[in-house]
Amino acid sequence: MPSFKLVWRNIMRRPLRSVLTVASLMIAIFLICGLRTLITTINAGVEHADSRRLAVMSATGLFVELPMNYQAKIDRIDGVEMTTKFQWFGGYFRSLKHFFAQFAIDPVSLLAMYPECQLPPEQKAAFIANRTSCIIGDGLLKDPEMNWKVGDTVPLIGALHPHPDDKAWEFQVAGIYHSSVPSFDNRTMFIHWDYYEETLKRGGVEPGVGVFSIRVKPGADVARVIADVKDTFQDSDQRVDCQTEAEFQRQFVTMFGNIPLFVGWIGTGVLIAILLATINTMLMSMREQSSDIGVLKSLGFTDGSMFGHMIAQSLFLAVLGGGAGILLSWATQNAIANGLGANFPGFEVKNETFVLAAVVAIAVGIVAGIVPAWRASRLRCVEALRGTE
Amino acid sequence: MLVPLSYNLRSLFVRKSATLLTVLGIGATVAIVSGILALKQGFATMFTAGGRDDVAVFLRPGATSEGDSQFSRDRGLELIKTVPEIATGEHGPIASMEAYLAVLLSPVRGGVTNVPLRGVQPMTFELRKNELHIVEGRNFAPGSDELIVGKRLVGRIQHCAIGETIVLNKTPFKVVGVFEHPGQFGGEIWGDLDRLLTAMNRYGPNRIVAQLKPGTVIGSVDPKDVLTNDTPPEPKPGSMAARLEHDPSVPAKVYSEKEYLASQTVMLTGILGGLSFILGLIMGLAAVFTATNTMLSAIAARTHEIGILLATGFRPFPIFLSFLFESLVIGLVGGVVGCLMALPFNGLKAGTMNMQTFTEMAFAFRVTWQVLLSAVIFSLVLGLLGGAWPAWRAARLKPTEALRGRA
Repeated sequence: MPSFKLVWRNIMRRPLRSVLTVASLMIAIFLICGLRTLITTINAGVEHADSRRLAVMSATGLFVELPMNYQAKIDRIDGVEMTTKFQWFGGYFRSLKHFFAQFAIDPVSLLAMYPECQLPPEQKAAFIANRTSCIIGDGLLKDPEMNWKVGDTVPLIGALHPHPDDKAWEFQVAGIYHSSVPSFDNRTMFIHWDYYEETLKRGGVEPGVGVFSIRVKPGADVARVIADVKDTFQDSDQRVDCQTEAEFQRQFVTMFGNIPLFVGWIGTGVLIAILLATINTMLMSMREQSSDIGVLKSLGFTDGSMFGHMIAQSLFLAVLGGGAGILLSWATQNAIANGLGANFPGFEVKNETFVLAAVVAIAVGIVAGIVPAWRASRLRCVEALRGTE
Repeated sequence: MLVPLSYNLRSLFVRKSATLLTVLGIGATVAIVSGILALKQGFATMFTAGGRDDVAVFLRPGATSEGDSQFSRDRGLELIKTVPEIATGEHGPIASMEAYLAVLLSPVRGGVTNVPLRGVQPMTFELRKNELHIVEGRNFAPGSDELIVGKRLVGRIQHCAIGETIVLNKTPFKVVGVFEHPGQFGGEIWGDLDRLLTAMNRYGPNRIVAQLKPGTVIGSVDPKDVLTNDTPPEPKPGSMAARLEHDPSVPAKVYSEKEYLASQTVMLTGILGGLSFILGLIMGLAAVFTATNTMLSAIAARTHEIGILLATGFRPFPIFLSFLFESLVIGLVGGVVGCLMALPFNGLKAGTMNMQTFTEMAFAFRVTWQVLLSAVIFSLVLGLLGGAWPAWRAARLKPTEALRGRA
């Protein structure tokens, strides 16, 4: 068992070097936490998917609208408990700098099917009652220029669907929702379908639906419902694709292409760089300690205990640096999430990532210590005392 | 008098393992930063190559990209006929209406992705005659259910090969040719405008592109302002852009093609630039710490030698320069190693999503000499910063104490 006091004294022999090494380790572990979180965030939608929910979209692509009357046909399929619809509104507030998602939805069925969209009861009632109202996610309020309150009116420029009177669309904020899972975006605005449809029709545009969401009855055969939905529209104008929510979300993951792979490469690069740096530090400090090691060995300390002594020093630095990195990553995650904003919603470091980072730090400590420790254990005390190293 | 450079170079060889580890550490940092720069370069090339000043892009007012722009067929036709700045060729105005839609297709690697599909009119090929070339097979026949595919899609997306069939909604289209274009079109699928509109149940084109008469000034807004300003910027008063924005019959937002492409890439270019900067800064800091450690340890081990240098009459400043040089050499070698590690990425194909239109973008890493130069400069800065403090310490040693071996 290595003596802690001896380890500490050797760490403090060159305080500047130890501090720099710990700081490098901290930076590396912080980066690894951040990079890993980019990947887990991309995958979050798949993990939090509700197994009873299905998504129906055009078989051609997400940007092809489905006719509204499909909903009634889906409702008639055996095993379907409830359906709701989503249509991308595609507007912006003032300029593209304040980008966020807006969907036209049916309030009653949306709130019934998505319990993760949490809203105080009185706000829920107000939203349902007022056709020109909207609800917004609490994440949006972090933008100081979009710090809206209940009762405010939000003007949106309809980039995808211009207002028929050639002016901005206006929605009153009826409620501010909180999302209980990272996969349900907390920076979205939901507006009333009826008002949306009526306004578009006034301008001579027939609205379509981007995605229908289905909740199946408990115990229903999901695979059969999916097959039935596809069959129902096989010969219609628009064929549909029906997927479980998990598969639907996975399609967005694959759209990121090889970006997750590149993020992995960057992480590997960071890991290699920090491993080399720690090995370097340990080799330098082992060289300086060789005469001490000679003394200890001549006093009767075994080769094995010298091996442990060096590993313990390396591990000590790694645990200190790794711990600081994890702390830094935990402390800055909200700031990073705000900085990423709508471009990358849902950034939140998971506990698994912290565990992974801790394992990586410990592994770096052990691996970096092995070569110096092996050299220390093989050192012959006569040579070490003579100081020929 | 300066300390001979050979002293430092030989010293680096004496401490092989420390030098090597530091060089590799800096190399890894430089490789990552240059990798991201190469990605940014490839992306920028993909989008701006083929972006022309003499081609105008017409969108619906308020639209942010061709994805959310829409014209009816009649209005599109009217615009082409009435805008006087559009150049005229043998067969009428050199202009084309274009339909743009993302379709869900399967990459060869599995999963699904949105591939841009573009319906064009024959005049497009007149407009693009110098930049777009059919490299395999033939062009699609106007009015037929045929497609040509961009070369960057071949081998990456299923069914993108001559003779294969791509089913769009319910209509099968036959792939008859492969075309090459240095810009974004090289990653798209093209077909006849009217056939595609019919197959996809669409009523009109998304945008209009046209060649402009020489010397036309558009006067559109700066694309960067669109993303950074709090309020949407207005085009220059009295310009072509300002006139069309409030045209009573066919109002339109007009950009030069170059400006349009810039407006579509502002966001991702910014993200990649920010990423390389932040990673460079953070990893660079760690690399500087490592270099400082190495140099401090090198100086500690050579305190005696420094004492001899001082005793034989070398002044502190040349000693400072001498150790700074040693650190710069470590940085430079690390930079070269990093560049060598980054080189294999050159030409590697990448694909990701265009956040504005949610379509797949295919592009390649480009390790250009600018990228390599930035990498080497970056590595020299790392060496400089890492060596400054240790070199200063070396220069401040007192000869007597240094000779006694006390740092």
